[in-house]
Amino acid sequence: MNTDIPQPPPFIPTPPFAEPALPEKLDTRALFEALLRSPRALVQRLAEPGNGALGRFLAIAVGSMLVFGLVLGSFAMKEQLWAAPLKITAGLLIAGLICFPSLYIFSCLAGSRAGAGQLAATLAGMLALAGVLLLGFAPAVWIFTQATRSYSFMGLLALIPWFVALLFGFRFLKSAVAAGGATSNGPVLLWAGIFLVVTLQMSTSLRPIIGTSERFLTDEKKFFLQHWIDSADKVLPKADSEETTQTQPAP
Amino acid sequence: MIRRLLQPDAELLDDPSPGRIARIAGLTALALAAYGFTTGFWRSPQMGVYVAIKMPLLVACTLGCNGMLNGLLGLLLGGLGFRQSLLALLSAFAVSALILGSLSPVTLMLALDAPPPDSEYAASAHSGYLLFHVLLIAVAGIAGTLSLHRILRERCASTSVASLTMLAWLAGNGILGMQFSWILRPFFGTPRLTVQFLREDPMNGSFLEAVWHALNRFTGGNIHLALIALVPLAFLVAVPICRVLFPRSQPVTP
Repeated sequence: MNTDIPQPPPFIPTPPFAEPALPEKLDTRALFEALLRSPRALVQRLAEPGNGALGRFLAIAVGSMLVFGLVLGSFAMKEQLWAAPLKITAGLLIAGLICFPSLYIFSCLAGSRAGAGQLAATLAGMLALAGVLLLGFAPAVWIFTQATRSYSFMGLLALIPWFVALLFGFRFLKSAVAAGGATSNGPVLLWAGIFLVVTLQMSTSLRPIIGTSERFLTDEKKFFLQHWIDSADKVLPKADSEETTQTQPAP
Repeated sequence: MIRRLLQPDAELLDDPSPGRIARIAGLTALALAAYGFTTGFWRSPQMGVYVAIKMPLLVACTLGCNGMLNGLLGLLLGGLGFRQSLLALLSAFAVSALILGSLSPVTLMLALDAPPPDSEYAASAHSGYLLFHVLLIAVAGIAGTLSLHRILRERCASTSVASLTMLAWLAGNGILGMQFSWILRPFFGTPRLTVQFLREDPMNGSFLEAVWHALNRFTGGNIHLALIALVPLAFLVAVPICRVLFPRSQPVTP
């Protein structure tokens, strides 16, 4: 009788995912690639003084936001083509600025030893990563801007990419704070919640971003949830030329 | 100094000199004043200035009034001197103040963006504003408590002694602090009431009575229901304190 029991193949552990090494000199292109392919190595590099990443990250973030804003502005066209990119970029920079003091305090509470300069570069990196992801979403969003007139649908289309982009941005931030020696995630998660709320409120404060208005900014003060409820059933008015075309008798 | 306060170690209480205590007190007062200004600013800029003065005053009154008791409890329970007790408590308040102060740009934006007190949304805006600030203060308070426990753990003979000392301090300062917050009201500025530094009868009534009356009104005068409503409130306060005192055991890695 054959008593040989077929043995399972030997377990070969898969090697841990290795990030590509960073080049010696981090120019804008290298930073752009590192954000996507080597975030952990990038975080370590940000701890080195004089890395020059802050300005480049900000440039990537501003450039990406301007393009994404242009796409959103193409929903209402006219003056929104320049107003939406301007407002989105300014809003994001202001949100980063007003949340930076609390980021420093919360990262210290988490146990991180990262200095203010390193955290500033990390925050700029987070914004840059979010911006790059928004760039990825931009073509798909543009398709829908040309297809719908509903403010609520368009708002949702703008929010979903923003949530996804921020999720990856927060992941980058969390690993940066952890690399600085943080022992708990709670404070950074709490800060992430505050930053998200600030950006949502900023989109309401700087309205209209998606819709149209005779004024560049409104002086009516509202919380973002109230604004969303009020705008839920509104649609973009038709352009004059479009109405004229539709009312003309068919040839 | 900020990092040292937020990440306290065993040496924090080694130098309880008046200069050091004054520096930490100054930093705490500045941070609380910044946060206080943004809190009252929604009602009016004048209210903002009032609250900027009253927030540091609240901490000063609580620590000043309980100074003797805190010192005695620290000595009897934890073996800490008077100045060390004051420094430990002040450091914990400083942690809370730094958190609130660092969020003051955010709360200022909230005050600027909230529907104004004379608008049709004033009542709901005031409720939302109040809730948001209560949440922030609760988070800052919990962080301060955690910090206090960490400081005491470094200096007391055992963790249970540290927990006992902290609980004794929390009870004394919590009850007195609540009453001082009642005396120094208003902080948030109810839209229909006039802007004042203090109410006309500041010493009349107490914080705990006001909470009880509010619960009674909420439950339509039903004492049993009011008592039941107190349970989740007590739970909300007890959970973070218990988590500090009885931390979950960490798995030991070989």
